[in-house]
Amino acid sequence: MRLHFSRKILGIPYAVFLVFFVIIPMLVILFYAFTDKEMHLSFTNFIQFFSDPTKLSTIVYSLVIAFITTAVCLAIAYPVAYILARSKMKKKFVILLLFVTPMWINFVLRINAIRELLSWVGLLGEANYFNTIFGMVYDFLPFMILPLYTTMLKIDESLYEASSDLGAGGFTTFTRVTLPLSMPGVASGITMVFLPSMTNYVVSDMLGNSKVTIIGKFIYEYFGTNWHMGSMVALILLIVVFLSTWLTGGFREDETVRGANL
Amino acid sequence: MKKRRIGALTLASLALMPTLLSAAGCAGDDTIVLRVFNWEEYIDLGGEGSYEYDYEVNEDGSAPAMIEDFEAWYEETYGTPIRVEYSTFGTNEDMYNQLQLGDEYDLLCPSEYMIMKLAAEDYLQPYTDEFFDPSVEENYYVRHVSPYIRNMFESNRINRADESDTSTWADYAAGYMWGVTGFIYNPEYVDEEELSALGWNAMLAPQYNNRVTTKDNVRDSYFVALAILYQDEIAALAQQHTAGELADEEYNAQLAAILNRTDDETIARVEEVMNEMDANIYSYETDTGKADIVSGRIWLNFAWSGDAVYAMDLAEAGEDEEGNETEQALLNFFIPEECANLWFDGWVMPKGANTQAAQAFVNFLSRPDNAVRNMYYIGYSGVISGDPDDEEYGSLVLDYVKDCYEVDEAEAEDPMEYDLRYFFGSEDAVFMAEREQAEQRQLQAHYPTEDVTLRCAVMDYYGEEANEAINELWSRVKSESLDTWAIVVICVGIVLVVAAVLMLKFGNKIDFFRIPPKKGYKRIQQRNLD
Repeated sequence: MRLHFSRKILGIPYAVFLVFFVIIPMLVILFYAFTDKEMHLSFTNFIQFFSDPTKLSTIVYSLVIAFITTAVCLAIAYPVAYILARSKMKKKFVILLLFVTPMWINFVLRINAIRELLSWVGLLGEANYFNTIFGMVYDFLPFMILPLYTTMLKIDESLYEASSDLGAGGFTTFTRVTLPLSMPGVASGITMVFLPSMTNYVVSDMLGNSKVTIIGKFIYEYFGTNWHMGSMVALILLIVVFLSTWLTGGFREDETVRGANL
Repeated sequence: MKKRRIGALTLASLALMPTLLSAAGCAGDDTIVLRVFNWEEYIDLGGEGSYEYDYEVNEDGSAPAMIEDFEAWYEETYGTPIRVEYSTFGTNEDMYNQLQLGDEYDLLCPSEYMIMKLAAEDYLQPYTDEFFDPSVEENYYVRHVSPYIRNMFESNRINRADESDTSTWADYAAGYMWGVTGFIYNPEYVDEEELSALGWNAMLAPQYNNRVTTKDNVRDSYFVALAILYQDEIAALAQQHTAGELADEEYNAQLAAILNRTDDETIARVEEVMNEMDANIYSYETDTGKADIVSGRIWLNFAWSGDAVYAMDLAEAGEDEEGNETEQALLNFFIPEECANLWFDGWVMPKGANTQAAQAFVNFLSRPDNAVRNMYYIGYSGVISGDPDDEEYGSLVLDYVKDCYEVDEAEAEDPMEYDLRYFFGSEDAVFMAEREQAEQRQLQAHYPTEDVTLRCAVMDYYGEEANEAINELWSRVKSESLDTWAIVVICVGIVLVVAAVLMLKFGNKIDFFRIPPKKGYKRIQQRNLD
């Protein structure tokens, strides 16, 4: 038999990778979530999760923390990206770099530094929720700026000219041209900030003195004692994230989104 | 010139030959592989921070790691080459998970409750009879282990659930490091008398609000809550003991029984105490506490004795963890007078382990010179005291302790006698130490006196059911609980938001949600485009 070297063969490594590192792990999580200690099919984890106010509260708290983090990130990142994308500065990439370089410094180091700062200001241990959100905003800001910047950079200059030719003022141009055309960047930024701020318990442990419990910490703790419940929580988180991605349009395949989904 | 270089090359390749050959030999069948699974940073890893002892240094002048020394020693003693596959874990639960996933090891070093859990679940293999034969030169563990630890290991049953199982800790485990729990405190802010009057209640005391920490670990916090909850009972017991109505052993056993309660009523009441703790403490920490107390951010830190020694050493050197100078007062360690938790980590062999090699490893680590090296490196107290009758090694550990703490009576500021005979089993173990050291500082954290150990209890494995209940309790205490109505309101809110987004997204596709077009042509244009 002759081996036909087609493009399909080139795809095999990726298929293998997907099967072993995406599909099988997902199935394992699904399997653990719906079994009990004796590995029998059971819905106890599911029922327990939704009948336990502690777990529901934690999910709600995580959602709120993630929501505020995302909103603050968006509020800071949008003007920055807009100014950078539209400015005629020659070295604007330097400013962009300044916003992005912290990402290249070790995460634990940055959080430790923030911890010291907060302690110096006197907030550490006093305002645990504020500290957590502050740390998360600091940490995830670049993930919001970058997609916004790339989308806005792609908006054709002639659109702005057309807009002002037709008599639109600055505000109208913003609401009718910039905002709608930057929506893909907003959507992708939200997706990239929302999920990690629900799960990144290192931030809440370090800056919230472990007194702030978010869903990621929950999953971690359950995987120390009860894998089945841990899988169930992970699965529920997966569904929440899937929903939020879908709602913000992360799955659309049209031209405008492609570049923004970093 | 050229010739010379060629000569050097030949020489070099000749010199390499044996190495290559031995490397090839390693792959042969006669090399034993010993898989050891230990805590991180829990053995002398050589290099900087190693104890200066008369071992042969590496070619580059650095201290060798304990594991390399063991490999050399094993081959010399037993004539077979051995290779140690050494891996580490961060928590007992991580280790247990690895075992459950099917990882295979010859030797593990879990804490006491995990050893009991593993034993209850029939994971462990007992030590062989050869291990306990003191006439064998290489059986360093049995020959040199402290009589106090030996007695504790031999008098405690390992499987509490099964009455018929009479095997003890000693059958399945060999000790490694041990210690007690207490508070590290900053004497600048915390009055010693006040603290000793409060005991574990300091965790709830309003004057330490936001200045005290506990461990981010359910067992340690549960213990503190139990000690607070049953303080009257514990005090009554102590009174009976001092009055002579209760013998030492009986007192200790009853105390341990109280501190191991896991019945439903206890769990419910512990939850209340833990909620109070939650409101009063500064943080739940695993290792930020040491830095926080050295920097003066907190005043009281629940700590294991080994960590306490480390923090006190740092404060003494006037440095924080990064080595920067601090203007920090010295720190003290306080073991509450009513009771404390006694913990230990021990070596156990899972079923199917290579017992001969694993036991040899335990014995090698238990040789007093190596025990001292490990203690120096790790900073915790080892279970090895040294057999006083052994000429070569017998006095090494005691010498090390005396080196650290003994003072000359004439020169000392405020000397007092410190008695560690119970631990060392030797009349030499009484020496003069500074009162400060013996009552507040490193010495009593390193080696508590017999009185202190009497009021210490080991926490057993809770058992499957209680364990689950306590874990649930822990997650309830640590998370913020919302009232049901709040959850309902927020859920409704989320559903509304989702519905709104859906409407905007698909509104134009579903008639029911149709949004009337503002300007007719817009919609028509869109239709045409479709």
